[in-house]
Amino acid sequence: MSELYASAPAEIREDLAAAHARACDRIGRAGTWWDGSQRVAIAAETRHALSCALCRRRKEALSPAAIEGEHDSLGALPETVIEVVHRVRTDPGRLSERWFRGVLAAGLTEEQYVETVSIVAHVVAIDTMGRGLDFDLLPLPPPQPGTPLQYRPPGARPGCGWMPWLEPADLSESENDLYPTGRPAANIMKAMSLVPDEVRSFFDLVSHQYLPPLAMRDFSREYRAISHAQIELLAARVSALNQCLY
Amino acid sequence: MTQNRSYDLNAVTGAARDDGGVPHGRLLLAFAEAVLDQDEEALAAVRAALSEAIGSAGLADAAGVVGLFNAIDRVADATGIPLEAEKAEASADFRAALGVDRFDVGARA
Repeated sequence: MSELYASAPAEIREDLAAAHARACDRIGRAGTWWDGSQRVAIAAETRHALSCALCRRRKEALSPAAIEGEHDSLGALPETVIEVVHRVRTDPGRLSERWFRGVLAAGLTEEQYVETVSIVAHVVAIDTMGRGLDFDLLPLPPPQPGTPLQYRPPGARPGCGWMPWLEPADLSESENDLYPTGRPAANIMKAMSLVPDEVRSFFDLVSHQYLPPLAMRDFSREYRAISHAQIELLAARVSALNQCLY
Repeated sequence: MTQNRSYDLNAVTGAARDDGGVPHGRLLLAFAEAVLDQDEEALAAVRAALSEAIGSAGLADAAGVVGLFNAIDRVADATGIPLEAEKAEASADFRAALGVDRFDVGARA
């Protein structure tokens, strides 16, 4: 078992522990549109959102838009970022394009939005697994110095989601590693491609916490301690509970 | 049907009363539900039962999948992506049967 998770109450694979360590390290470093301290603040706010009274009232309401108020926040981020973090963390099944456009109108850029969603997703993946095992997984990292890269891929154009994305044919040379070879790029991979580094980071986690792309439909062998059928049953039930069609 | 086996897709919506054709399926479903719910006692009980059934490494992998899809769902919902056309066509009949099309992000006001 990995030294990182040596005291965990279950056998966490070494490759998965290493992927968690990489994800944690990346959260603390300057990203593409947020610096290290902002990224760590977004991760911390993701954890804090679970205790937000406004989010609880909205979750119970017929429509979240009907409930006004202020989020209980750690106070380190602009209100618009806090709204995104809290809504994505606590009530993702009722996010809408109208709400997304409102967030942009309030001052967040599409690129900042994507990077924020990605950080929330990293934390949710790791923390939910920790809850399942009754074990606090990684502590948040100290922020590292550095300046955001501010790279917007030149080939990004409107796709099927709410923001521009990269089709495989539009990848530049530096983005050639973004999508797997041997199978079409799924929409979930293209969804965050406006910020390519977030695709790389999140799908590093996907490959180890779920399955690598080519293993998903390789039924000739099993890659985990549970079978493909058991994995897909869990995945489908979680998505149904989250009311997520995708 | 996949891997030449039959599965009860009602398990996805929690409507199946048995394993849905998947070994330890009922326990796995209960585990996913408990992780996403707030009942700590129920989670502790199903965690122990699942560990007994599939072992410590199996429990860790199951928790990882639950965590990962709890995150992937958020990426999908927060970016407004639809199902790929080929997947949508291939799954149209059982999506309708299970009544999950109401979760389509495109239909949200």
